[in-house]
Amino acid sequence: MARRILEALGVAVVMMALAVFLQDEASGQTPVPSGSGGANAAKAGPAPTTPWGQPDLQGIWLDEFDTPFERPAQNADKEFFTDEERTARDERAIADAGRNERAGLGSAQDVAGAYNAVFTSAKPTGRRTSLVVDPPNGRIPGLTPETQERNRIDQEFRLALLQNTSTCKNAAPGCRGGKYGPPSPRLDETAPFYNTQRMNRHNGPEDQSMGDRCMLGTTPDFNGFRRIVQGPRLVAMGVDTGQGQGYQRVVYLSGSHPPKTVQLRHGDSRGRFEGQTLVVETTNFSQTFPYRGSSENLILVERFTRLNAKTLEYSATLTDPTVWTAPWTVTQELTAQNDEQNRIYYEPRCHEGNYGLPSLLVGARLDDKAFRAGTGPNPASHDTATCVNELPAAREN
Amino acid sequence: MNIKRAIGVALAVAGLAGSAVPLVAHHAFNAEFDANKPVSFSGAVTKVEWINPHVWIHMDVQIPGGKTENWGFEAGTPSVLFRRGFAKTSLMPGTKIRVDGYQAKDGTHRANGRDLTFADGKKLFMGSSGTGAPYELSRPGVDTDRK
Amino acid sequence: MAGLFRGSTVVTAIVAVALGAGAATWATRTTDQATRPAGPRTTAGKPDFGGVWQTVNEAQWDLQAHAARPAVVTQRGVYDYDYARVPAAPVLALGAAGGVPGSLGVVQGDGQIPYTPEALAVKQQNGENWIDRDPELKCYLPGIPRAMYMPYPFTIVQGTDKIHMTFAFSNAARVIHMNAVEGPPDDTYMGHSVGRWEGDTLVVDVRNFNGKNWFDRAGNHHSDALHLVERFTPLGPDAIRYDVTIEDPKVFTRPWTISMPLYRRLEPNATVLDYNCIDFAEEFMYGNLRKTPLVTHWEGETMIVDITRKIPPGDKLHEWYRR
Repeated sequence: MARRILEALGVAVVMMALAVFLQDEASGQTPVPSGSGGANAAKAGPAPTTPWGQPDLQGIWLDEFDTPFERPAQNADKEFFTDEERTARDERAIADAGRNERAGLGSAQDVAGAYNAVFTSAKPTGRRTSLVVDPPNGRIPGLTPETQERNRIDQEFRLALLQNTSTCKNAAPGCRGGKYGPPSPRLDETAPFYNTQRMNRHNGPEDQSMGDRCMLGTTPDFNGFRRIVQGPRLVAMGVDTGQGQGYQRVVYLSGSHPPKTVQLRHGDSRGRFEGQTLVVETTNFSQTFPYRGSSENLILVERFTRLNAKTLEYSATLTDPTVWTAPWTVTQELTAQNDEQNRIYYEPRCHEGNYGLPSLLVGARLDDKAFRAGTGPNPASHDTATCVNELPAAREN
Repeated sequence: MNIKRAIGVALAVAGLAGSAVPLVAHHAFNAEFDANKPVSFSGAVTKVEWINPHVWIHMDVQIPGGKTENWGFEAGTPSVLFRRGFAKTSLMPGTKIRVDGYQAKDGTHRANGRDLTFADGKKLFMGSSGTGAPYELSRPGVDTDRK
Repeated sequence: MAGLFRGSTVVTAIVAVALGAGAATWATRTTDQATRPAGPRTTAGKPDFGGVWQTVNEAQWDLQAHAARPAVVTQRGVYDYDYARVPAAPVLALGAAGGVPGSLGVVQGDGQIPYTPEALAVKQQNGENWIDRDPELKCYLPGIPRAMYMPYPFTIVQGTDKIHMTFAFSNAARVIHMNAVEGPPDDTYMGHSVGRWEGDTLVVDVRNFNGKNWFDRAGNHHSDALHLVERFTPLGPDAIRYDVTIEDPKVFTRPWTISMPLYRRLEPNATVLDYNCIDFAEEFMYGNLRKTPLVTHWEGETMIVDITRKIPPGDKLHEWYRR
């Protein structure tokens, strides 16, 4: 009898401990969404649940606002824009003719402008001054010394390829850190690391950026439309981003990550519901598809919380001690898009329509041929990399 | 070459690049097209490929001497247009348009559509009713002709 | 004893005749409530097809019944007989690993694909020009129904009003809309799929194709007028019967049907690992445009393979990428 009472007591203690633990977990894990839903919350219905009892994350989702990724250093403590600042930014965007502004006829700048601005899109300014919400100053933590050194070596090579161009002769921003001179002896060297950016050489497809090769879409993505389809054991996310650079991810609500030797472009995602939030851990990223320089050591933890009928809060924490000195977190509010209109063309068929890549390789071969025949300039003297004289930052994905 | 102007364009692009969507060309157009070979054509659309990464508009053009050639012009992505409600029926064969651009280095009848307009000068694909995708900023003269 | 044997011989003979058409024809099966196969169900009582699936047959090589062949592309051997051809140069080095396994075929009825005469000629040319024309070799989106029976797994995620399939091959996908949506703004590789339930069968109507795909590696093709009606019927918890009625008035003289089982991947932790092949295909597609040729020569103990590249001239260069 005593034993039974003791057992019952033991069970009760365990149950109590469990209840406390779960409560702690729930309150610790679910971030208080700041300004949850905003204007949407006032009008939108409650967050729906699937017929099998999970929070329902389904729909087509988009961040409808333009928010700078990082906060400029002088705004370190300023988490939100004022209404006047938002209006001013919007007015500047509305007045900007973008690509419609022509440069001189026959100039490289005019060719680089490519096509009319109607093919581009501008979104209104959001409330936050940055998508990065942690560290609290809104900036990605510093890079590790190894990554800084790697970036320096990489940048040095790219600048060498620009050495003989007018970009460097005129000390334009695209040549920042470089110098002008004769064609570099490094011209035909293999790039020091697997190249993912645009560079001033076109010896083959590997010299092109991932965008040029139609392999730009990476995980995480903060720009595109996401269609979420949810089942009891699997969640599918179709992403439409860039110019047909979309992709699909599948989150398994069971099982475990593959061995480290299995590297995947969008990693391997395993998820579980913690209260109202789907928490997804993704690892096993491929070295061919780094995100801001991070790949095989990246641990990505994402949180999806349906705040109300029209709003999904999305938060992503990135941890890679080989690249960043601390983890960092991005938070976005995504708004439900109209599913019936079916205007979002999900088929990411960039590769199937990529006439530009063979075309520019042919162009480069003709330039080589003309140079060998003495009828054309040294291709190394032309800048075909920096769009309007601006070299993309080495870390940008 | 006007450096001030070029940097002005650079800053304008960089300013817009504050948006989360990268707005630079999908690929280096300077590597594919020849700044020394500008072209300017009027003609009738024969086919439109609404493909990614770039829409291709094919056109019959009359060249001096009376011949007709069929040219292809590479423009921007259709994805943005689709979200505004444009579809494959939005530019039908037979439509008369004007194209300014630069010919491909490979010497084929291909150019980039640097500026695409109708005969009256109105830019192609501007939404005259200004409906746009609901979340977009409406830029007069850029993606809408509404002021 | 003798009577028993005689009976079984007769039975065997009858069975052999019934199956003699060649293709694996399904016995007629009625799905009435009393014999509903066990398997997971949604809260609405419909079959739940969620999970990791794969087709296991030879349809990806050739939809029609065929004997095993030495390779996809062959040339005349010593004899002029069709059954005595040898592998052509591009695939010779693979030896028996490059061969095509035989199959009873998946085309129902008489096993024929009812091409118009012009379309049949195109099919034959496709077969002969497989290396240059098959979109699979370029890692292009494979289309439907081909994606369903390529030798790679795929996930089915069955949501409340959408069914999302992601294929390992090139991370291709399709969404089956179970609710009303407008059509796509332009034609597609993977089709626009609209689904509904008929009892336990998911019936899917697929349209809006761009006509750029093949059905298999044998050159079977279609146009942008392709229209499919698919039927997914559970065969127990771990298999689905997949039937497709195919019509295309620009290419075929009448509708025709293919049919095959889809199998659930049953191993623990079954996971689809994407076969992202765009960079795998780059040397194949663009190697001829490198400044310095890269893949040109291979030497083993028994064979030397040398590759010389050709660049199609002018607009033909771009046509090659359109195929």
